[in-house]
Amino acid sequence: MITTAKFSYEPSEHEAEKASNSYLMSLIAIIAGLPLPIINLISTFIFYLGNRKGTYFVRWHCTQALLSQLSMLFINSYGFWWTVSIIFTEETITSKYIAYVITAFVFNLTEFIATIYTAIKTRKGIHVEWWFYGSLTNLICKSK
Amino acid sequence: MKKTIIQGLITLILFFSAWFALTRIDWITVFKVKKVTDKTEEKLGELFLAIFQKNEVEVKNPLIINSIDSIVSKICTANKLDREFIKVHLLNKDEINAFALPNGHLMIYSGLILNSDNQEELSGVICHEIAHIELNHVMKKLVKEIGLSALISMTAGNGGTEIIKETAKMLSSSAFDRNLEQTADIKAVDYLIKSKINPEPFANFLFKLSSKENEVTKYMTWINTHPDSKERAEYIIEYSKDKKANFEAVLTNDTWFKMNEELRVLK
Repeated sequence: MITTAKFSYEPSEHEAEKASNSYLMSLIAIIAGLPLPIINLISTFIFYLGNRKGTYFVRWHCTQALLSQLSMLFINSYGFWWTVSIIFTEETITSKYIAYVITAFVFNLTEFIATIYTAIKTRKGIHVEWWFYGSLTNLICKSK
Repeated sequence: MKKTIIQGLITLILFFSAWFALTRIDWITVFKVKKVTDKTEEKLGELFLAIFQKNEVEVKNPLIINSIDSIVSKICTANKLDREFIKVHLLNKDEINAFALPNGHLMIYSGLILNSDNQEELSGVICHEIAHIELNHVMKKLVKEIGLSALISMTAGNGGTEIIKETAKMLSSSAFDRNLEQTADIKAVDYLIKSKINPEPFANFLFKLSSKENEVTKYMTWINTHPDSKERAEYIIEYSKDKKANFEAVLTNDTWFKMNEELRVLK
């Protein structure tokens, strides 16, 4: 799922710190944004905007963090509004809903662990590419 | 590019298949969700029933009770519904009204029976209320109107008698929202047809009472709280149009008249 690859150049200490921060950003936002799935995305997006003119290594990891948050947004928003409709409308709790919550939880947890792992690795200047998001980032983020 | 698309698709498939696989498990039973809500419903049913039994006189006449039981049993058997769950209570009151309480308590006022021209009209209203019970409309309405936490605290004895009284009043004298009423009407027609009871009198009943609306509205709670009776009568007729069956009476005419007579005496 997660592969460490060689980056096109050796990132400096400063770059490694910034790249690692892009993942930490989404982790910190989880604490504030748990009930509202969009908070994580907004914070990662702001970080991305601030660093999109940064060095290649930093840009690359900001993009990967942003993309992973984007897909989580879809999963979590759906779950969030489903929960709201159960509380406020005639919707009732069904096995389908509980199954969704469990699946969403597992995916979120996987993403959470992967984020921590990647934050640690990138801090050491090691380039980490995620399954799907890594290759997607490679398509979007080019070295100028 | 191709690799990214494939990986993306695999992730999507993984998500949906995990969700699908997990839906195979009956989580409601695993987490005992149903048990908790069932207990709440049971307790609420008892609370509200006690209020009506305290304030109104329940009819105990065996002929009347047995006759209504026969109608309800016929509907339940024909539609494979749990007869034990539906508990009929007949109250001696002039209001033309019938309503459902939580946990399958079906309340019928004697005024409804006395104002029904025939047993089919009464059966129609009974079917409509059974549909509310079977489709869980009562609990849905309660949760929507006063919230689950308030309901649970009610069952724990923290609700206060005034709130319980008000809620009971709301259940007896206000309709469900338009959508739920229509679903219950359509379901009622299905129940009637499966029970070989003609649904046309049910529509006539609505029509009849809606035209009477200007005369005496005081006693016609069921009609007043169920708006657009004419429109309802029309879609009931429309829905039951192509559903012809060999209709048969549940009670003999003799029993129906006797039952009405005895009810009049009780007044």
